[in-house]
Amino acid sequence: MGSMFRSEEVVLVQLFLPTAAAYACVSQLGELGLVEFRDLNASVSAFQRRFVVDVRRCEELEKTFAFLQAEVRRAGLTLPLPEAGLPAPLPRDLLRIQEETDRLAQELRDVRGNQQALRAQLHQLQLHSAVLGQGHGPPLAASRTDGPLESSPLLQSPGGPHQDLRVNFVAGAVEPHKAAALERLLWRACRGFLIASFREMEPLEDPVTGEPATWMTFLISYWGEQIGQKIRKITDCFHCHVFPFVEQEEARRTALQQLQQQSQELQEVLGETERFLSQVLGRVQRLLPPWQVQIRKMKAVYLALNQCSVSTTHKCLIAEAWCATRDLPTLQQALQGSSSEAGVSAVVHRIPCRDMPPTLIRTNRFTASFQGIVDAYGVGRYQEVNPAPYTIITFPFLFAVMFGDVGHGLLMFLFALAMVLAENRPAVKTAQNEIWRTFFGGRYLLLLMGLFSVYTGFIYNECFSCATAVFPSGWSVAAMANQSGWSDAFLAQQPLLSLDPNVAGVFLGPYPFGIDPVWSLAVNHLSFLNSFKMKMSVILGVTHMTFGVVLGVFNHMHFGQWHRLLLETLPELVFLLGLFGYLVFLVAYKWLRVTAASAASAPSILIHFINMFLFSSSPTNRPLFSGQEVVQPTLVVLALAMVPVLLLGTPLFLHREHRRCHSRRRQQPDEDTAGLLDPPDASLASQGSDEEKAGCPGDQEEAEFVLSEVFMHQAIHTIEFCLGCISNTASYLRLWALSLAHAQLSQVLWAMVMRAGLSLGGEMGVAAVVLVPVFAAFAVMTVAILLVMEGLSAFLHALRLHWVEFQNKFYSGTGYKLSPFTFAVEDE
Amino acid sequence: MLEGAELYFNADHGYLEGLVRGCKAGLLTQQDYINLVQCETLEDLKIHLQTTDYGNFLANQTNPLTVSIIDTEMRKKLCREFEYFRNHSLEPLSTFFTYMTCSYMIDNVILLMNGALQKKSVKEILVKCHPLGRFTEMEAVNIAETPSDLFNAILVETPLAPFFQDCMSENTLDELNIEILRNKLYKSYIEAFYKFCKNHGDVTAEIMCPILEFEADRRAFIITLNSFGTELSKEDRETLYPTCGKLYPEGLRLLAQAEDFEQMKRVADHYGVYKPLFEAVGDGSGGKALEDVFYEREVQMNVLAFNRQFHYGVFYAYTKLKEQEMRNVVWIAECISQRHRTKINSYIPIL
Repeated sequence: MGSMFRSEEVVLVQLFLPTAAAYACVSQLGELGLVEFRDLNASVSAFQRRFVVDVRRCEELEKTFAFLQAEVRRAGLTLPLPEAGLPAPLPRDLLRIQEETDRLAQELRDVRGNQQALRAQLHQLQLHSAVLGQGHGPPLAASRTDGPLESSPLLQSPGGPHQDLRVNFVAGAVEPHKAAALERLLWRACRGFLIASFREMEPLEDPVTGEPATWMTFLISYWGEQIGQKIRKITDCFHCHVFPFVEQEEARRTALQQLQQQSQELQEVLGETERFLSQVLGRVQRLLPPWQVQIRKMKAVYLALNQCSVSTTHKCLIAEAWCATRDLPTLQQALQGSSSEAGVSAVVHRIPCRDMPPTLIRTNRFTASFQGIVDAYGVGRYQEVNPAPYTIITFPFLFAVMFGDVGHGLLMFLFALAMVLAENRPAVKTAQNEIWRTFFGGRYLLLLMGLFSVYTGFIYNECFSCATAVFPSGWSVAAMANQSGWSDAFLAQQPLLSLDPNVAGVFLGPYPFGIDPVWSLAVNHLSFLNSFKMKMSVILGVTHMTFGVVLGVFNHMHFGQWHRLLLETLPELVFLLGLFGYLVFLVAYKWLRVTAASAASAPSILIHFINMFLFSSSPTNRPLFSGQEVVQPTLVVLALAMVPVLLLGTPLFLHREHRRCHSRRRQQPDEDTAGLLDPPDASLASQGSDEEKAGCPGDQEEAEFVLSEVFMHQAIHTIEFCLGCISNTASYLRLWALSLAHAQLSQVLWAMVMRAGLSLGGEMGVAAVVLVPVFAAFAVMTVAILLVMEGLSAFLHALRLHWVEFQNKFYSGTGYKLSPFTFAVEDE
Repeated sequence: MLEGAELYFNADHGYLEGLVRGCKAGLLTQQDYINLVQCETLEDLKIHLQTTDYGNFLANQTNPLTVSIIDTEMRKKLCREFEYFRNHSLEPLSTFFTYMTCSYMIDNVILLMNGALQKKSVKEILVKCHPLGRFTEMEAVNIAETPSDLFNAILVETPLAPFFQDCMSENTLDELNIEILRNKLYKSYIEAFYKFCKNHGDVTAEIMCPILEFEADRRAFIITLNSFGTELSKEDRETLYPTCGKLYPEGLRLLAQAEDFEQMKRVADHYGVYKPLFEAVGDGSGGKALEDVFYEREVQMNVLAFNRQFHYGVFYAYTKLKEQEMRNVVWIAECISQRHRTKINSYIPIL
């Protein structure tokens, strides 16, 4: 938990991996997932790197795997999940895997090819028999009996030269979508010297896809050899299957029988082949998943190795990696363990670095969703104060202020609780639905949000918009009635009665917890709540922002920028507290000091606050406390005086520092020249300056110091902060607005649906029947509108209050995450 | 057509336009070309192409890579994209797509006819046909003996039919006639396409008309150049020129009279657009070929087409740019496989 407050210390380490053990070391690091490799070969293109050959071999293998997988899928089988904890294979195992894969793939390809060929053959036979069979069908039989009858006199009468002119046939099968085009083309090309009949046949299994497909069989009768050639060409170009078609019916029948016999034999052979195929597929199913995992790991290792540079002696690889300081011993151990076989052990050593290290914040399943909220805005700078631990409380709380209702909060809490309790069930964990995963990922967030909503619901005293009277109310109507002597006639005349707290016995004291339930009956319920919620929003807002500014202190202290403490945080605090802190004070003071007795002449805070800025006072508005005339102008002057401090302080200070450093360096160039010429000393010096960040800023930084730019930044910051104080305070009023909207909406739902339903049926039976659909409508609308829609809107606003109003006071969010090299598949 | 495409364009074609712009962003960049040129073998080329939008398009090739495999696969990829656009298009964009495929169909028909003339098998030629210009009746082309035969029997149902109006003749199909047929077809095709774009109006016309005008003029120049020293008469030559370009009518008349490259160049000098192009052409040793100069100009126009929104020109431009890119990759691949690196840099970059 300690690491939640700021990101962990991360250092750049140099790993010297002996060439023989480099692979084992990196694969071990991948299993552990501790370090993030830096690419040392960024200038080298992908195909010129050292291990590109190995990567390519892995890719080749993956290609074969893809083929095997596709075959398994096509057979309708699924691959089992591989067991966990498979290590990356040794490089020498690659050969074995490759060989076996190739053999398997070859075998599968052979069997598959055989099967395809057999199927195609079978298909051909089936088509052929269908084509021959179409001659027996009644429609064509009729036309064919017509054919010879008509043609035989024609043929016989001329005799002599036209003896060889007789009807010929082309028969075959074509895909149905081409049939129409074929027919038309035949007609046009042969100018009608043919008779073509097309017929649909029953679906056959397609040899390639295995899906049923219908074909059209056709029989074309024509005269003349030229036309015959044309027809053949055309049928060729349409990829038709053309079969020999004998004219004699008897011969055709024998041919048909032969075909059927052949196809039966073929089917047997096919069955045998398919059995063999399923055996091979079974082997693939067993072997493939572990191989896939292993090769993927191997490829990842080689890709990581590709980022290393080679030492001058070619004896070891040098890798640079980011690693958390806490993990260094583990890293060392792992490297020693995996390189011990090679005889030479791998060495880890820290190297200084100018680049900003990546941010590493370890989370558990509880804190992950809160860290996620912060990271969605921006990953924190290295070692910056992390707002996530505070967000754990403030986020659900601010949400609940806008969502305050015991009933709704309870529903949300129960929903989240169910998810939390079921989180270890595999079915819940592996659910793929995106919306579900979003909710599931934020289950602890929802849990807290629900819990806090119940709490604020009790404060607002609202449960599905109805007040609960847990304790007896602090207001007594009886006392009022007795004291003022309301007669029956008076009661009948007045639709509204007012309770006066100044009358003895009417107001007994504040309600023990939250809002008094009697207010839910009052006409001025809303204006009472508005006043309360508005003031509460301002108080919460100012507190939240002040907290943000105070968190900035820890940033400045940690980074050693002490001047900012005095020149930035202090003016900011004075400005914020002097103006808005004072407002909060006024509110609290009035709550505590003004009683019901003096309510008639109570001063207005609003007028006071406006007058404070105008340096004036209005005679009708009584001062709240003595000395107010002095305190108020002093505060305004103090706050305004802070603006120039904030605007000019840091730039001027930095400018002075810069000049001092500069002149000091100019004074001692003689001492430095020797050091600069001597390389080891220089590196030591730079190392030293790195270590003491607090001291004189680094050389590079100094060289880049431009006064105008610093001024610009500071001016923007100042304007943003000062205007932001006003606008952000106003922004917190959304707490009031949203909670008001939620309360009103749930009240409307209750009054228009549930209460209407309840008052509908006078008799017992009618009410019971009517209430079922009424309650159903109420429940559905409660969940859909009040819980989901309103919940999302409140969530959004809470998010904004955190990102904009809270985090811009101290959080820069300009870092990048440490993404360690790991084999583990991301779970969430 | 109504003016103001921005009001209604997106309702029908917004998705496709967005898609094509995304595809355009995937074209190879200058940096990609620099890396490709450095490749030592085709395998390197493949690895590099994998990091671009081409992705794993060669992953399923088990045989050793050749240039023609790369070419075919790239064409297939373009074809897939194009088919996707086409299948999701509405009128009049789908007609526009049909017009785009027509040029490929013409090329395929001519290719097949030439093949039939040289007694090559249909299968052999089919491989060379551009996949965008494929149609079912295509393979039956070789049964025709005269252009009217071809029209009546085979092409009457294809989108090419209207372009045949001027080419109906009973001449036998020999090599010259086929070439004339191609040019006539192309002329009427480009004129019809031009008319379609002009009638469509709005931004489409503003973008597409200059592109098609340039295309027409380019054909006129190329026809002229190719007809030097052939038996094609000057009158016949003039009938082949597409008449929708900037050169029409005076330029074409002059061009018809031209007898050598110098005269052609003089014709081009009258036109501000073409003058610099012809000046960039070198003579044999240095400078570029006329074809390359034209390609460069085309690329430039097509890239500019993406600066306007709400028009169909982007689809045309994208297809042409992709084709140019494919020519570039094939050129580089050829240079690599033939170990002929001196000319490897003369691809036409798409900026």
